[in-house]
Amino acid sequence: MTLTGQRVEAGRTGLSFRLDGAGFGYGNTTVLRDVALDVAPGEVMVVVGASGSGKSTLLRALAGLLAAREGRVLAGEEPVTGPGAERAMVFQDDGLLPWRTVRRNVELPLAIRKVSRRERALAATEWIERVGLTEAAERLPRELSGGMRQRVQLARALVGAPRAVLMDEPFGALDAQTRADMQRLLLDVLRDTSATVVFVTHDVDEALLLADRVAVLGRTGVKTVLETRGGPREALRERILKEL
Amino acid sequence: MTGGSAVRHRRSQGRSVSGGLAVRHRRVEGRSVLRWVTRVGCLVAAAGLWQVLTATDAHLWLRFDRLPGPGEVAARFATQLTTRLYYLDLLQSLIRILTGFALAAVAGITVGVLIARSRSAGDVLLPLLEAVRPIPAIALVPIAILLFPTDEQGIVFITFTAAFFPVMVSTRHAVRALPTLWEDAVRTLGGSRRHVLWNVVLPGTLPGVFGGLSVGMGVAWICVISAEMISGEFGVGYRTWHAYTIVDYPGVIVGMVTIGALGWLTSSVVELVGRRVTRWLPRGEGSGA
Ligand SMILES: Nc1ncnc2c1ncn2[C@@H]1O[C@H](COP(=O)(O)OP(=O)(O)OP(=O)(O)O)[C@@H](O)[C@H]1O
Ligand SMILES: [Mg+2]
Repeated sequence: MTLTGQRVEAGRTGLSFRLDGAGFGYGNTTVLRDVALDVAPGEVMVVVGASGSGKSTLLRALAGLLAAREGRVLAGEEPVTGPGAERAMVFQDDGLLPWRTVRRNVELPLAIRKVSRRERALAATEWIERVGLTEAAERLPRELSGGMRQRVQLARALVGAPRAVLMDEPFGALDAQTRADMQRLLLDVLRDTSATVVFVTHDVDEALLLADRVAVLGRTGVKTVLETRGGPREALRERILKEL
Repeated sequence: MTGGSAVRHRRSQGRSVSGGLAVRHRRVEGRSVLRWVTRVGCLVAAAGLWQVLTATDAHLWLRFDRLPGPGEVAARFATQLTTRLYYLDLLQSLIRILTGFALAAVAGITVGVLIARSRSAGDVLLPLLEAVRPIPAIALVPIAILLFPTDEQGIVFITFTAAFFPVMVSTRHAVRALPTLWEDAVRTLGGSRRHVLWNVVLPGTLPGVFGGLSVGMGVAWICVISAEMISGEFGVGYRTWHAYTIVDYPGVIVGMVTIGALGWLTSSVVELVGRRVTRWLPRGEGSGA
């Protein structure tokens, strides 16, 4: 870790989340009602659900990009009122600013925080190396493959040492091989942080691989929260598939 | 040359090298020479036609007997180029258009962003702007003469008004069309409204803004020349009209060519800068040739 990383991360723990009777929607449509969910500090919570079940909606609510219509959304002890740097988000695709190079995209959260140029460059270099993109640091997003773009998003989300990382099907658009590489990279990177992770996917195997716990999203609200630690994988798999 | 230069050329673009591509590259080079021959040939043919029509005093439905021929115009051009007045006029027109255009660019982008991003700013400004927009800038000449102490300021004002609207309108549309994803990304990284403005809105709208700037430069030339013809004491537009009133037809055509060249030059600069600052746009390779 660089000096920046240490200073920012010192004394930081993962952020917990609590949804309590929370409801969300757009215009006249209600997407989620009466959601109750607890995410513990530092855990990897994977949310699975069918397409259109409201996974992105839930994640946007945790990020503070969407306000709850009813109930409470808490991050730590505080109600979520808007987005903030302690809750970084990784989008499914195209979340990078296309006019910034890889390096300048990764530096962005530090630039926003007015970290000095030198420290910014150091931290960015380190993260770019960790995600294996040193060679591509000066390229624009359009010159990268889908997998490389997601690596940049991962580096950009983590460079600012957030207390939570919210990931919305980040590997959904990748081919099987790249997806497996990315999952390995993610597990590797997460080992060194204390950040809480809320990871959305519709792929049950991905959920089982990454999760400490899995939440299954039914038509409205979170149906079940299943522990994946211990116990036979196959049985869990069956149970998740049944809940979906 | 062949192999070596083709390879080096492609390496500079960071591409891998293969024999098949080198052959294709050479073929493309040949084709582009042919295209240049076509382009130049077409211009030469047009000049030739002009020469024939004027030399024979052709009297078809259009009458070419009083129109000066290319030789006459070229000779006139050569003498004009040696006079100080020619360059003074040129400079005068350029100062007018660049001042008006620069003011229009700044004001157009600012107002366009403001209207698109703030509802209250839209409520205040839009009715006013929509009321003025349908009036062709050149129709404002009488007002400009009444309002401004000097003709100079009036002409700049006309030019400004002409270029302002295309820039403002395209900026507004570009801001509206901006994907919310980029804004969301910056906000979840801790960015404030100001960060979103500088890091997303301004760079993200540049392609649209430059569309507006290109159009704006075009209408700015129309208006500066027309305004000079009406109320100038210097300038290419004034000189061209003056040449007409003293029956100096070669002078008129020299003026026209000068205006065309200046217009082309300024548009090219806008185009070039636009391409430079929007290099991040996904573009097919070899487009824009
Ligand atoms: N901006 C919006 N305006 C109106 N309705 C929306 C909007 N975004 C999502 N919805 C609706 O909300 C519902 C849930 O959408 P959401 O994107 O949260 O689903 P999802 O579980 O993420 O699906 P996917 O797996 O396809 O990404 C859908 O029915 C969708 O039509
Ligand atoms: Mg989604």
